[in-house]
Amino acid sequence: MGRKPFKPFAFDSPFAFSLVNFATGQLPPTGIDKFITVHSCITIQKRCTLVKIIGLTDQEAEANLRGSGLGMSVTEARSIAKVLNRDPTLAELFCYDAMWSEHCSYKSSRATLREFLPTTGPNVVMGPVEDSGIVAIDDQWCVAISHESHNHPSQVLPNEGAATGIGGDVRDVNCMGATVVATADPLRFGDPYGPQANKVRWVAEGVVDGIWQYGNALGVPNIAGDIVFDESFDFNCLVNVVAIGIVKRNEIIRSRAPKGAGEKGYDVILVGKPTDASGLGGVTFASEALREEDEATNRGAVQIPDPFLKNVLFKANDDLFRLVREVGVEIGFKDLGGGGFTCATSEMGSAAGYGMELDLDLMHKAGDFPSEVLCIAETQERFLIISPRELREKILKIYNEDWDLPNVYEGARASVVGRMTSDGRFVVKHKGQMAVDVSIQHLTSGIRYQREEKPPVKSFSEPVAEEPREYNDVMMKILGSPNIASREHVYRYYDTEVMGNTVIRPGEADAGLIAPVRGEKFGVALAADSNPFYGRISPYWAGATAVAEVMRNIASVGATPSCLTDCLNFGNPEKPEAFWEFREAVKGLAEACKRIWLKGYADQPVPIVSGNVSFYNESPAGSVDPSPVVACVGIIKDYNKAVTMDLKGAGDKLFLIGPRYDELGGSEYYRTILGETGANVPIVRFDLEKKMIYAVIDAIDQGLVASCHDISNGGLAATVAEMALTRPAAFGLEIDLGKAADASMRTDKIMFSESSGFVIEAKPGSETRLAEVMKGCGLDLMEIGSVTGSRRIVMRRNGKNVVDLDLDLARKVWVEGLTEAMR
Amino acid sequence: MKIAVMQFPGTNCEYECLVSAREVGMAGELFRWNRPAAEMSAFDGFIVPGGWSYADRIRAGAIASKEPVMDALREEAAKGKPIIGICNGFQILVESGLLPGTSGNGKVEMALAQNVMISNKKIVRRGYYVDWVTIRHDASPRRCSGSFDINKGELLQIPIAHGEGNLVTMEKGLIQKLNDEGQVVFRYCDSSGRTIPEFPVNVNGSTENIAGICNPEGNVLGMMPHPERAFFNWQLPPHDPRKHQMGAVGPGRKIFESMKRYIEARA
Repeated sequence: MGRKPFKPFAFDSPFAFSLVNFATGQLPPTGIDKFITVHSCITIQKRCTLVKIIGLTDQEAEANLRGSGLGMSVTEARSIAKVLNRDPTLAELFCYDAMWSEHCSYKSSRATLREFLPTTGPNVVMGPVEDSGIVAIDDQWCVAISHESHNHPSQVLPNEGAATGIGGDVRDVNCMGATVVATADPLRFGDPYGPQANKVRWVAEGVVDGIWQYGNALGVPNIAGDIVFDESFDFNCLVNVVAIGIVKRNEIIRSRAPKGAGEKGYDVILVGKPTDASGLGGVTFASEALREEDEATNRGAVQIPDPFLKNVLFKANDDLFRLVREVGVEIGFKDLGGGGFTCATSEMGSAAGYGMELDLDLMHKAGDFPSEVLCIAETQERFLIISPRELREKILKIYNEDWDLPNVYEGARASVVGRMTSDGRFVVKHKGQMAVDVSIQHLTSGIRYQREEKPPVKSFSEPVAEEPREYNDVMMKILGSPNIASREHVYRYYDTEVMGNTVIRPGEADAGLIAPVRGEKFGVALAADSNPFYGRISPYWAGATAVAEVMRNIASVGATPSCLTDCLNFGNPEKPEAFWEFREAVKGLAEACKRIWLKGYADQPVPIVSGNVSFYNESPAGSVDPSPVVACVGIIKDYNKAVTMDLKGAGDKLFLIGPRYDELGGSEYYRTILGETGANVPIVRFDLEKKMIYAVIDAIDQGLVASCHDISNGGLAATVAEMALTRPAAFGLEIDLGKAADASMRTDKIMFSESSGFVIEAKPGSETRLAEVMKGCGLDLMEIGSVTGSRRIVMRRNGKNVVDLDLDLARKVWVEGLTEAMR
Repeated sequence: MKIAVMQFPGTNCEYECLVSAREVGMAGELFRWNRPAAEMSAFDGFIVPGGWSYADRIRAGAIASKEPVMDALREEAAKGKPIIGICNGFQILVESGLLPGTSGNGKVEMALAQNVMISNKKIVRRGYYVDWVTIRHDASPRRCSGSFDINKGELLQIPIAHGEGNLVTMEKGLIQKLNDEGQVVFRYCDSSGRTIPEFPVNVNGSTENIAGICNPEGNVLGMMPHPERAFFNWQLPPHDPRKHQMGAVGPGRKIFESMKRYIEARA
């Protein structure tokens, strides 16, 4: 396939005077400034057909909007017409519809996020302003992190939905100039044994396939994440994706037009897959209406993934980054995600206070699509560059010749599609007509809604149940439950090894760990967490416990929590109950960030540097359980000091930190064994939590810990069992439950309370020093038992065996639990 | 000494392969598929790394094997230069006829088919699989470029990550021929070196547990496991004692060291 020729300008186009000759790539014969002046004098000759709003009754306007396939309200449309002082074009309305959508504008959530979330800190290089947040590892290296959801697409088309979720998230990280080094996937599916079992399993399998097929081919290891099955996700799964990258502090690339770009008329270059109609209306509420009424442009709201093209694009992007470093100029670089071309271009321009002139005729595309489709389609694997004209030839060469995009993927390439201006207008031309001509600031400033909040009327109570007489069966049921069982069935699909950086893999510890830079000793840990069952009872504590648990996960390998991201998955914010749940969860997670400080900085919260809000996760059957999913990046100075959770040697002593409380609300035990939700949700004792996290990090740093596992789902009993069951599963253990709590606590509550804590296997000879470290942090170290050479998991109380399981039988049940649930 | 790490569209293991080659003292660079093929002759050896070249369209490795640079690679192979294909690189070498190379005329004689995990004679899983496996070196030392320095019977722990590593042949007698000629370089085995034919030891259903083969001359090696991911000791799983041992190295390093020794021995 040969080169696709650029289309020259029509002679009568006003742009012919104001733009350079894109066909030849030649600079204009005279100074740039002159051309800008010319533009400001242009009177637009032809405008695309207008959608009548002004002068119509509300009903008529509504009919006009719906007839055009738009989801925006009449009030919103009138406010646009008022600012324009005329009726808008169809493309303008679609651009506004996308930009003012909840997804792009955070119109319901922004005020709450601003009110509560801590986003700054001594290690923050960039907070949640661009596609990824960035924190410093040391003086030179930084981590970039992004956290996104792709819930609705994954429910409709699990494979493509999940794959494009990763695709979008890794672009967010790459466009900061970073090398993407790891991903994590927190997943929430419905009940695999419930009334929707077949659908749930179809979704779960498709999502896992989409993740591995995309991530493995792209060549980025998947090192963390979790899976929870809960009937509230029967009709609305959650697919969250976390991606992290590594970038040098002085090589960060911004997602905004550089200084001077407007005055000097910088190029706007679109790179990647040819624009098509896929993912149309992905961010807008209009997608249903679009699909019903416009079959020709309906290719579904779900985008089409291509990891192969992405792999090549990433390498070409690396060459672009190298070029700008060598030349020493600043460029703007951004991925095209939600809101497509319009969102990427207008946000890059408005962030720098500039305008831009774009010409859709210059865009490489898969067919002849209407202006509004080209503006907002969410075709995957595209990037946008804003760069000085003198780099044009070199940039086009990188993509079109060196990496040969046109031959790698049909129709893919880099094309100059317009130029920056300094007049603050967002102008899009198509087929010689003016498709969009609006104020760029007005388009990108979005709108805000003050939503009402009201606590839902729900009541929870603790179950009244006898203590079980026989615990072996109870333990086996817990170990085989889809929420406790080994995740091995899934992570054997994920390429956890690619890039050769992986130090700790999924299943080996509570967090994944990579050594992303050769020659550097630091390791980067990643984990993600959220418990929907806690959210059902208390969104506040769900938010707080998610933060605490994810930090414990990071501490368990010996890394120090450095920053967090949040992906807030809730129902319809227009319903006061759902909005209340959202606000409560945000309050809870903010409180935990503020009260568990960044280690080494008293009174500094652990910052939330990136995030995403996903509302409308509901079906006629109801809303999903409130799910504030939190991811945490941790840094360990020397990755050789990191520890895993598998038991290391017979005779080693096992210790507990974290007292057991009567906190089994939403617990695995209540749900799986008693069939109840309960009320006493685990809370976070912020001071205790902070001390435990710090103490564990210090103990591992001092080389006192052989293995470590945090206590969460399934409580103390599941936690110790998992340490024995994890590969190589070479040892048994024996613990005395009586040493974990006082005599008044029921055995089932000691075993299965989900109060936070850690179980630590001390290195032989290190017990005294370990106790000193704990004491220094104000903690009691409870010796609860030891690792044994026999292949049995034994738990005693008052001299009697409460649990006595054959390790191999228990391991079989634990390993097969998830395989069975997903079959 | 300079080696080229081949890069096709979709390759994704080239950087860690290059790091490994450099660590053992071989100078190296990436060689993009659309570079002039004539430049290939300047290199002393070649690594064809893993990935999803051309998105695995048609069959894994099928399209990359038709690239003009592959003709140049065949010429370099005929000169006796070492070529190591890993994972998708192995698939590309098989699709190009460089492996097993017994016909001598570039004919494609075998394929790496979809993984089929069989336990107790039942299929328990199919397709993509990632795990650490043990492989046994079944060739004599100095028989093959990539295992030049490895003793017969030596065991290596190395990870796999592939969907199509199940080696199957068109002709019945081919496996016997490979055995007779000492072209079977690696087999999947358990921790004691036993080649149990069922999953999880035979991790992908490969004929006779074969994990890697070489051409009759021994200079071209193809293997499914990824030695570049088992190069440093810290890459090993937590229960491997070498992981935290000062000065220990990963078993995959031996493949790259062998390649270097082979080049030195040829010189």
